[in-house]
Amino acid sequence: MPEISNEAAVAEAPVRPTQRAEMTKWQWTWKEIKRNKTAYFMLAPFFLLFIIFTILPVFLSMLLGFTDFNMLEMPNIVWFDNYARLFTNDEIFILACKNTLIFAAITGPVSYLLSLLIAWFINELPPKIRAVVTLIFYAPSISGQVYLIWKTLFSSDSYGWVNATLMDLGIIDAPILWFQDANYVMGLCIVVALWTSLGTSFLAFIAGFQTIDRSMYEAAAVDGIKNRWQELWYITLPTMRPQMMFGAVLAITSSFGFGGVVTALCGFPSVDYAAHTIMHHLDDYGGQRYEVGYASAIAMILFVIMFASNIVIKKALSKVGE
Amino acid sequence: MKKSVFQRLVCLMLSVVMLLGVFVTNAFAFDELVADPAHGSENGGHRPSLDEMKTYLDASSYAAYLDEYRKEDGTLPVPDVTVPGFTDGVYRVDVVDRLHDYGEGDATAEKSYGIVVKNSQICKESMLDDSSAWEYFGAGMDGESVYLSSESEAMWDLEVPSTGMYYVRITYFSCKTSESSISSIERQILINAALPFTEAGSLKLNKTWKYDYVTEHENLTVTSDDVQGVSTDYQRLKAGESYKGIKVEKDGYYKFVVTVSGTQKSAKVYQISGDINDNSMTPHMVQDPQWATYYCQDTTGFYNEYFSFYFQEGANSLTLKAQREPMIVSAIELVPIGSDADIPTYNDYYESNGLADKAAGKGNVTIQAEFPDAMSDSSVTIGSDNSSSQTFPAAPSSQLHNTIGKLSYNTVGQWAAYKLQVNETGMYKLSMRYKQNTLQGMYVCRALKLSGGIYGEEATVPFKEAYNTQFDYSDEWQSNYLGATNLVTGEAQVFEFYFEKGVEYTLYLECSLGSLKELIKDVEDAMEILNNSYLRILQLTGATPDENYDYRFQETLPMELIALAEQAKVLDRTARAFETLCGTKGAHIATLDTVALLLHNMSLRWGEEIASNMSNLKSYLGTLGTWINDSKRSAMIVDSITVHPVTDAQKQLPKAKAGFFGSMWFEIRSFFGSFFTDYDAMGLTEKPKEGSESVEVWIATGRDQSNIWRALIDSEKGFTNQTGKAVKLKLVTGGTLLPSILASKGPDIYIGLDSASIINYAIRDAIVGVSGNYKGGGSMEKSEVDALNKVFNTYYYTVNGVDYTEAELAQHGLKKEDATFVSIPYSEITSEEFGRYVPAAMDTITLLGVSYGIPSGMGFAMMFYRSDILAELGREIPKTWNELMGLLPDMQANNMSIGLSYGAAINFILYQRGGNMWLHTDNPNYAGARIGLNTDVAKASFSWVTRLYTEFGFDISFDASNRFRTGEMPIVISEYTSTYNTLTVYATELNGVWGFCSLPGWERPHPEDEGMIWIDYSSLCSISATVLLHGYEDALSSWQFMQWQTDEWTQSEYGNRMVALIGPSAKYESANKMALDGMSWTAEEKKAIWDQMDHLYSIVNYPGSYIIGRYTEFAFLAAVNDRQDPVEALMGYIDAINDEVYRKRAEFDMPLLETDELPTNA
Repeated sequence: MPEISNEAAVAEAPVRPTQRAEMTKWQWTWKEIKRNKTAYFMLAPFFLLFIIFTILPVFLSMLLGFTDFNMLEMPNIVWFDNYARLFTNDEIFILACKNTLIFAAITGPVSYLLSLLIAWFINELPPKIRAVVTLIFYAPSISGQVYLIWKTLFSSDSYGWVNATLMDLGIIDAPILWFQDANYVMGLCIVVALWTSLGTSFLAFIAGFQTIDRSMYEAAAVDGIKNRWQELWYITLPTMRPQMMFGAVLAITSSFGFGGVVTALCGFPSVDYAAHTIMHHLDDYGGQRYEVGYASAIAMILFVIMFASNIVIKKALSKVGE
Repeated sequence: MKKSVFQRLVCLMLSVVMLLGVFVTNAFAFDELVADPAHGSENGGHRPSLDEMKTYLDASSYAAYLDEYRKEDGTLPVPDVTVPGFTDGVYRVDVVDRLHDYGEGDATAEKSYGIVVKNSQICKESMLDDSSAWEYFGAGMDGESVYLSSESEAMWDLEVPSTGMYYVRITYFSCKTSESSISSIERQILINAALPFTEAGSLKLNKTWKYDYVTEHENLTVTSDDVQGVSTDYQRLKAGESYKGIKVEKDGYYKFVVTVSGTQKSAKVYQISGDINDNSMTPHMVQDPQWATYYCQDTTGFYNEYFSFYFQEGANSLTLKAQREPMIVSAIELVPIGSDADIPTYNDYYESNGLADKAAGKGNVTIQAEFPDAMSDSSVTIGSDNSSSQTFPAAPSSQLHNTIGKLSYNTVGQWAAYKLQVNETGMYKLSMRYKQNTLQGMYVCRALKLSGGIYGEEATVPFKEAYNTQFDYSDEWQSNYLGATNLVTGEAQVFEFYFEKGVEYTLYLECSLGSLKELIKDVEDAMEILNNSYLRILQLTGATPDENYDYRFQETLPMELIALAEQAKVLDRTARAFETLCGTKGAHIATLDTVALLLHNMSLRWGEEIASNMSNLKSYLGTLGTWINDSKRSAMIVDSITVHPVTDAQKQLPKAKAGFFGSMWFEIRSFFGSFFTDYDAMGLTEKPKEGSESVEVWIATGRDQSNIWRALIDSEKGFTNQTGKAVKLKLVTGGTLLPSILASKGPDIYIGLDSASIINYAIRDAIVGVSGNYKGGGSMEKSEVDALNKVFNTYYYTVNGVDYTEAELAQHGLKKEDATFVSIPYSEITSEEFGRYVPAAMDTITLLGVSYGIPSGMGFAMMFYRSDILAELGREIPKTWNELMGLLPDMQANNMSIGLSYGAAINFILYQRGGNMWLHTDNPNYAGARIGLNTDVAKASFSWVTRLYTEFGFDISFDASNRFRTGEMPIVISEYTSTYNTLTVYATELNGVWGFCSLPGWERPHPEDEGMIWIDYSSLCSISATVLLHGYEDALSSWQFMQWQTDEWTQSEYGNRMVALIGPSAKYESANKMALDGMSWTAEEKKAIWDQMDHLYSIVNYPGSYIIGRYTEFAFLAAVNDRQDPVEALMGYIDAINDEVYRKRAEFDMPLLETDELPTNA
């Protein structure tokens, strides 16, 4: 069979340029597209949806960032006013940036490493136990709003678990308003974020660990690997770079976009903006003040930050195993 | 020891001084009392006094009351009926002659007590003090009767002929006046001005309700297929089809009762009409005022027999104190116990009627339960069931009414009645097809009452066993003969009844607790004791006791220890009794075991475990309360009742379950049917015609609510009937409005938009100002705006579906009286004289002098109190904050506190003290331009509220309803309807021991009269309104709809239907003050709500106002968490707030105040 198709290709050859070198870039692309039309056809539904619901909104948001759109009336173009206000006249935005960076700097790497580490440990377990332990670790993120358990635990009521226990032990004599006290809010939210972070990337890591070819380890042993750390660094991690990239992207988006959980736990806005992230600031202007133009500008900045950190991470990951 | 003269002199002088001191303080006290009316009696603050609360609380239970009068041999004293004064064995009180005359000037006389009604046929308005017009008054009995209004307190002076126990029988008419609502009649009965026992404090007299769906046909022609006698049949017919010569006009589901005797034929047709998709439309339910007799009896279901009251021979008094609803009384009789009123056992009934000799009946009669002839309560409604193909009529994919009891036919005392006739005289038994899947491991009881023929005219149980007619638990549909345990033999007994040909019987199925009542009562008593014990222990240990501390309970609280141990045994015993009675041990009973075990553990080793289990005990008490609520709720769905001859065997019963293939086919049909159901068209009787005038209305509530709106719009007094305009009602989710406006796909009208959104949308030109002075928005032409304002400013009269102004009306020679709908100018509807809305309600939806809607819902905080706990502390309900703070030490000494949420308190205290959130200005253009929190009064108010939490130990975060229930927070200040709704369903064990009233007030100098002290009871209201959106199609139609939707009738009817459908916990908070009148609150409750409504402020949501709540909360939390000075903390945010407000106003080109400028008048 292969011979026949080759012959057909050869038969057509004199009519059109066939070699890459003989064509312009566009001609080549078009040819490739035609050749792989089935693949493009199958890709089309997703691609369309992706354009309509992801690319287009980002693009629109970029445009809206230059207007004073208020949700209900025709927008006016204000050029860079929104951005100027963001950086010169909005203290809370600066505070939100600070909070977001602290948040991302702690939860991002920690949750990422935690996922990786736990996945690695779990991978060492016998298959049956592994399944059970995986479920236990993964449970917080599949069960949706289960983080609200923290609200019960750290309820401000004197009957809240932590408050009641501390009062029992005589450590405090009046209930602490955990989620309404600027001193505790950020810390608690970070803890909750870490707790819920063993999500999809964690599963991807476990899957990644299992795809690694056992013979690689044997070969490495022959080549003189000294310990498990070296095995991890030189073989395991480089082999599962795709999964790690996937996990990293997820960690970035989730740690920068962390907001919903904070709102659910601390209310909106959190006390004295103590856990106010860029995401919250966006919500505040978009949802409460109907200043969609300004909110779009905020979104663009968040987008840029995420994009940049993505590139940095990509660079960093390429260094793994070197 | 002998005292010197000097010492004696000193002593004497001291004693004189002390004596004088007493008088002086008394004199001062007297002064204060005299001065009292000047403060505050005029401006509301009404609440019951301590004495009033105590009358109810001091009464003992009925069981204890009986024990008190029991003779040594255990029997009750029976009056001697042979003495003169009895007629036909009863003492009849002449209700007119013996009505107590309070005379002029008596305080009680001011309440309208009793009004004598002559011949009870016509009643003129002048007979009523308050001249509230009578809407309807039916024909009645001959002679005179007494009208008792819903606030009456009528007393009769009795001359009782003989000492002993009596039942009290009242003959009453459940009249329908402008005062009445859908609630049942409730009265307290007082003997010699005192409540004899607690249960007499709330007697419930049913009204009768019926569906308005029966038409009678007389003189029909007999055809060949007619059979002699009465035949009942059920048919689903299309418009124009006929059944046995009777033509129907609408699509629907019909019941035909055809009577043929000789050549005479008549028929009764019951009609449940359907919508365009074959879904049943619930027929209109109407009150059917009737004369009825009532024996005073228990409403909780714990005592089956009638209440007996002890009367001493000679002069006595009997008082009926109104709690809900008016009534007319024509007779009050004292029936001595041991007379005919006593009910026989089944065996006695069988024997005394000679039933053993009667022949068996012939032929079956099926009564479909979805066609009741009368109901006790407007919430006993019919519904549809799609769970079985065997239910008649089967409805795989449509909502066809085919059962009763799905919603709320489950509370003790509720009944549905069915008329039945048989074609052969003889003995019959009854069977029922039903589904009881709510109380696992328990059964549900119905009291089976009959009237007609040998059963007498009044609906009574024919024998004692009929109280316990028993329905067991099963997941599936069941079909069984009706019966209960025979009280004499102790064996299962299927009831047999004697029915005569040609006699119309009425069968009543009344919810009762039956034989379970003693057991449930035991648990309820245990619960009460445990609640008290919990509170006692709590008062000693606090909410979180120290586990390592020895509280020495055996010395401090020995009785509580005993109570724990005893109640553990009681609960255990009750659980075992349930098991024997019901034959199984279900999950429902296991709850009792769990609680019993905990109690047992806590009582061990002198209460060592108490400290570690306190919070467990608290949550278990909650569980126990829920358990009692559930057990009392005897819910089941009934499909049909069948009358069988006694000879019928088990296999003649109607089939309970469908066969395997039958149900599979049913499921398949219902699955595929669900793809083709148009849920938007639910309730549409006609396909909307193209081009016809219509209004599109959106509402974001639940399906029940939108169904009710649909029904209201289509009802007799509905919008469509009055104006001839159709309404497209759509149920949407909350956030849909904004995107829809953005895409200009929005509705004409949106119901229930909150005031913050209204201002937000209005300022962005999405909502139309309806106050008649609208300046237009967006690109509106001047002429367009003028035409629009004319609509809001003019009277329109709708005659035959056409709208005319007053001038046009004259041109066409029409009269105003003929108009079916009158559109009233905005300024008049919302004026204070019109009486619909309080000014505060209008303020929140007004911006720069233009109002953007008509208020529909209005919520505000009120004060809820536990009268039992306050009475125990011996304290009045606080009228002012000073009094409340005076109460605090006593409460805190008992580990109790006051439930007040800081967010609400910060705001309403500010207003009570005469402050304002926005800096006051006389120039309306600058209203809301500057925050008012940096005034002296605002600073003082803020720091006062903060101190409540930092110094006086108020809780910042708490579960109000739970703590109110356990008594830890005997006073809770919160939103009135939601709290009321929660407490009614959640804390039924507290019935009668809590109430609500206006907020405690702040004493301050009267704003107009400096010398007078004035108490400001004000609360803050939050408004939701019905708004008109840009892009409306027809301004007049929309405007008419808005008026109709917010008027008294519509609002109170909506509230009532909600209560009817969902139960007493579905109270609706209408903003329309007048609508409250027709809603099902008690007279006391209405008074309290009106009282608060008269004292309302509101915070206007000017642009930028979202920032205020945020920053005041930050300041408050900083003061609480970090002990900052509250005023300093607050002042730190003032500039930020003003900046944001300034920025926001600048965005919308509103008049601005620069930072150094002051408002024009200040």
